[in-house]
Amino acid sequence: MRLLRALAVEFGKAATLPAVWIGVAVTVLGTAAVTLLNAVQTARAVRAGTPERYGTPSISETAYAAAPLGTVGAVVIGVVVVSSEYAANSPDAGGGRQIATSCLAVPMRLHAVVAKAVVVLVFVLGTALLAFPACLGISRLALGDVAVLEPPGSSALFTRALGSAVYWTLMGLLATGISLVCRSGVVPLIVLIVNSSVVSVSLLLTNLTPLAHWLPDMAGRNLFGFDADSVVPGGLDVVPGGVVMAAWSVVALVAGAIAFLRRDA
Amino acid sequence: MIVIDSLVKRHGARTVLDRVSFEARPGHVTAFLGANGAGKSSTLRILLGLDRAHAGTALIDGQPYRTLRHPSRTVGAMLDGSGAHRSRTARNHLAWVAAAGGIPRRRIGEVLEQVGLTDAARRRVSGFSLGMAQRLGLAAALLGEPDTLVLDEPVNGLDPDGIRWIRTVLRSHADAGGTVLLSSHLMGEVEGLADRLVVIAQGKVVATGTVDEITGAHANLEDAFFALTGRPDATVGGGR
Repeated sequence: MRLLRALAVEFGKAATLPAVWIGVAVTVLGTAAVTLLNAVQTARAVRAGTPERYGTPSISETAYAAAPLGTVGAVVIGVVVVSSEYAANSPDAGGGRQIATSCLAVPMRLHAVVAKAVVVLVFVLGTALLAFPACLGISRLALGDVAVLEPPGSSALFTRALGSAVYWTLMGLLATGISLVCRSGVVPLIVLIVNSSVVSVSLLLTNLTPLAHWLPDMAGRNLFGFDADSVVPGGLDVVPGGVVMAAWSVVALVAGAIAFLRRDA
Repeated sequence: MIVIDSLVKRHGARTVLDRVSFEARPGHVTAFLGANGAGKSSTLRILLGLDRAHAGTALIDGQPYRTLRHPSRTVGAMLDGSGAHRSRTARNHLAWVAAAGGIPRRRIGEVLEQVGLTDAARRRVSGFSLGMAQRLGLAAALLGEPDTLVLDEPVNGLDPDGIRWIRTVLRSHADAGGTVLLSSHLMGEVEGLADRLVVIAQGKVVATGTVDEITGAHANLEDAFFALTGRPDATVGGGR
């Protein structure tokens, strides 16, 4: 009963926090835009007789190429549900942080952490439900008559969406756990967004040590389902990689929960 | 009824609260007086389950805050400012607080009206003045119609109208049998409002009693306050 109430509270907070919707928009619009760009260029290359430049004009291949970028929005959602609690108001408005109100309203702190994790899970999966159909639709339309349909009976369309959604969710939860430990969004936002968009530090680290393949983002990368010849070789397979990534997220959340339960609010 | 008994809180080697004990009774407005950094907020935060004490207890109606069955319907609390995230509207802030306490949604409109924020209900908190933020904080405290009110510097930032209004609210709350505990560092604010005073200096309660008892032989409450807090070892009017 109290946990249900904590869930209602956290959903209410997330739904009325603009930063959460920015996270949703970044993922949906970002992946859609990349898919459109990708599809237009692929179609153009095929029509110009140089298909080798952009690979086969497969609908799913074109759409899911944008999936890794969607991680950014998931990280934003995972971070802001926690960092918003610790954002101080301006001194002109009395300062103060929402965290005090939150702990007064829901004194069972474990409930609050569980509710936050569920909110991140639901919002990221919901975002995936919007993003992937949109990307596939855009891919189909923009490729037009050159589109290569999936072979009948192929489940790649579904499994790649599922794998990508799982990756996004685990990354979002990892961000939530780190934010709880840091009590701020700065570090997790910078580290996780830079790492999943600009330059992958963990990917570079694999050049130094094969252990880097066990870092969360590297371990889970095969969840995106890219062909083996289009990604960096080595590393963990889909299922063991997903399990390792999930373990990272669980460890981060448990560490975050312990910090949140033990520390003064 | 609030009973604070021998609270000790340390930050590293520094003792923030040194065996702080006092009570706030139903039907009374109890003012917790002290300079900034004297330990007022630390005491209230422990009372409200936000911070942990190293020793001692702080109970509301015989229970620690965190074990209260219906916290926001038992205690209305207000700490720094609005306690709301700046990008949320006043109404949306109160909506989630109400959801947490199982408080009917109609109360949101009622408290907004009561604190005079009806017109600002759909504005984001980032655009609020200090006075408006304080009013929103108070609205959240009043939401669950609690018997006990715990307010940290509630008068801070209010204009003279607001100060007069909050005095009326707190007085009538106590007169109706409620318990009111408020902290302040300004003597003038609490004189004429508080029934009982608890004076804290450097983490120790140095005096407790009525305004008259604390003022004692001094010309006024302010003189008494400086005499008491200037010398932390002073004991007047039942102080510890």
